[in-house]
Amino acid sequence: MAKNDGLILKMENITKTFPGVVALDNVSIDLRKGEVLGILGENGAGKSTLIKILAGNYIKDSGSTYIDGVKKEFKSPAEAMASGIRVIYQELNTLDNLTVAENIFVGEQITTTPFKIINWKEINSKAKELLQHLGANLDPNIIMEDLTISDKQVVEITKAISKKATILVMDEPTAALSEGETQSLFKLIRRLKESGVSVIYISHRLKEIFEITDRVTVLRDGKKIATVDTLRTDNDELITMMVGRNIKDMYPKRELPIGEVIMEVNNLVAEGVKDVSFNLKKGEILGIFGLLGSGRTHLVRTLFGVNSVKKGEIKVNGKKITIRHPKQAKDNNIGLVPLDRKADGLALFLGVKENITLANIEDLGNGFLIKKQVEREKARNWISNLNIKTPGIDTVVSSVSGGNQQKVVLARWLESGSKIIILNEPTRGIDVGTKIEIYRIMRDLCEDGSSIIMVSSELPEVLSIADRILVMSKGRITSEFSRKEANEEELLQSACI
Amino acid sequence: MADNPVPSSLKRERKFYLSNTLILFIVLIVMVLLFSFTSKSFHSVYNLVSMLSNLSFIGIVAAVLTIVMIAGEIDFSIGGNIGLTSCVAAFLLDRGINGWLVILICLIMGLAIGVFNGFLVTNVGVNSIIATIGTMSIWRGLAFTLTDGKSILAINPVIDYLGRGTVFKIPFPVILFAIVFGVCYLVMDHSKWGRKVYATGVNPMAAYLSGINVKKVKFVSFIFCGMAAALGGLILTSLTAVGMPQHGMGLELTIISAIVLGGTALGGGKGKILGTLVGILILSVLYNGLTMLNVYYYYVQIAQGAVLVAVVSTYEIRQKKRY
Repeated sequence: MAKNDGLILKMENITKTFPGVVALDNVSIDLRKGEVLGILGENGAGKSTLIKILAGNYIKDSGSTYIDGVKKEFKSPAEAMASGIRVIYQELNTLDNLTVAENIFVGEQITTTPFKIINWKEINSKAKELLQHLGANLDPNIIMEDLTISDKQVVEITKAISKKATILVMDEPTAALSEGETQSLFKLIRRLKESGVSVIYISHRLKEIFEITDRVTVLRDGKKIATVDTLRTDNDELITMMVGRNIKDMYPKRELPIGEVIMEVNNLVAEGVKDVSFNLKKGEILGIFGLLGSGRTHLVRTLFGVNSVKKGEIKVNGKKITIRHPKQAKDNNIGLVPLDRKADGLALFLGVKENITLANIEDLGNGFLIKKQVEREKARNWISNLNIKTPGIDTVVSSVSGGNQQKVVLARWLESGSKIIILNEPTRGIDVGTKIEIYRIMRDLCEDGSSIIMVSSELPEVLSIADRILVMSKGRITSEFSRKEANEEELLQSACI
Repeated sequence: MADNPVPSSLKRERKFYLSNTLILFIVLIVMVLLFSFTSKSFHSVYNLVSMLSNLSFIGIVAAVLTIVMIAGEIDFSIGGNIGLTSCVAAFLLDRGINGWLVILICLIMGLAIGVFNGFLVTNVGVNSIIATIGTMSIWRGLAFTLTDGKSILAINPVIDYLGRGTVFKIPFPVILFAIVFGVCYLVMDHSKWGRKVYATGVNPMAAYLSGINVKKVKFVSFIFCGMAAALGGLILTSLTAVGMPQHGMGLELTIISAIVLGGTALGGGKGKILGTLVGILILSVLYNGLTMLNVYYYYVQIAQGAVLVAVVSTYEIRQKKRY
């Protein structure tokens, strides 16, 4: 039975669970024709899951979806696209080895009869037309690989529009854009609004929500908190809805003694690292802030032995060390919780206990055999110490939530006896509750004499947790701030030099 | 909240795995019973002994190849290795070299073959499928070159015992198989190095970042595989009393089928030595049983292929892949 209430999209009581976790709990949202609806929420709130259900990637457990009043069940992305839904993902889904025009018209070659030969001239000119219609001046013949992320995004949007998208979903579109590029994107979104396209704009950046959305729905821990008119709300109200508690409680207080220098890096030169020098003191949390491409991950890789040192030295406890392989880093009691925990941090098909003991297999028994009892005890120890939520120690680690997976990787390095722990974006993609736990764990570790290097692009996090902050840009350290001196503007300025 | 969580079918992976081996065992027992009832010669002692001896030399290679596959690689050159080993052994015996020395030399050659394969894959970085298909031809070609395409008789008390000797009426190859299988099981299921192999196969990057020397793990597994294939070649030479460059031709496919049947995935990281045992048993019993029933040989080939496809299909269907 078709309902006619002027809504182009209505999702009612959507519930989706995964093993061990309720990703969405009776969430309802609606989208009016021609509006920009923001979906706001912390990492892990359920935004991605909701969108993947809308896009046909995931199948919901219960609830209904109505497109323009008609109830629809999408069993695949193709079905969702046929109903006018297009999603521009944060990572983009471009075919980088093809041209702009080929990307726009993929799946729909324009051919000339009688031989069904592809008419490139027509494809290119149509592509140019569509691009210009959206205010972009791109050459349709350029290979996608050579474009900036901002331009790639424009191509994706053009592709969506050419396929008559009526509902355009943009998932964290500005993560990799500069301020200027963000403004161009907003101009484009306004143009789309005018031509009748309805937009769902997912973000965790308040500034953008206020700039571009008409209404905003806030999600938290899988539940919908509220939907409000953007004009009628403010920062404080949105933050309270997003976080659910006073934000000042998020970051535990630290007044801990900081000891002597435990690690010295002098004039380090390596791939992506132009000339870096810094110290790390015992018991300190050293934050490294920088934007995409600043060289932070390159620095991390060099410190951990993945990339080779071209010039300069690394000293631990006063002694110069050579690290050419992660094993050597490990032997010097350095540990790494990598940026992409799924791809680089976890053996997804192995259990929680195997992942915890992965860096310290040698200690699982005296000879060449593993004593299962020893392994079980070690696993249980860390599971309780770090409060890792898992159905059991043998549970396959892929079915444990992101925050707990992160704890597993951290437990691995603690088990291996690391005293210097490098964390690359430690709370990325993690729910608020676990984030706070991880901050507390970090503080406790420092109290016990460990030292932490935390690479992060989340300003509130860096400003509240780190004792000292180094800012990186283009492979160099541009400035250093103590926690008291640091503030958002100066950090960002330093990061853009 | 899980970010990009994995569908629930994957959580059942561990439970699913155990019940899989169980199903395989049941299939095996049913087959053995069926054949025993329909063919008098199937369960004759002579037949069982000969079937076990045959499957033992295959099983030795399969058990160790399973380790290579769990590490995420593969070795197609085992067949060529067997052929070359058999020819070298017969060649040396023909020139009067001592049987024990011949065994030693062949095992060292197997080690060298493993080193070469390992070097190509881990040091040079050639994909193991391509590398070992290439070396497969090299070893096979060397075998043909050595014997000029002919076969050489291989009769020697020491070598004869390898394939046809018995210990308390149990064929010696079966004893060897039990030892090799037992060691492989111990290593993969209970040892530190075995854990490193699993880690390497499941996620080489995560293993590397945890301080595991992934290249070394793979290299060593290739060496073990080379030596196992050489041992298999020696046993086969003994069983047939002849060194032939054709020995072991096509065996790589049978062995890999048995391993995959047993639940080891081609991608690495998943697999159990026990599974390989059952896989080998199923394929051997099938081959032997149908032969005893005088089934036309080519139908037997079809049957073996069909069983492989059917069983692996059940694994894949249970995974419920969406694309």
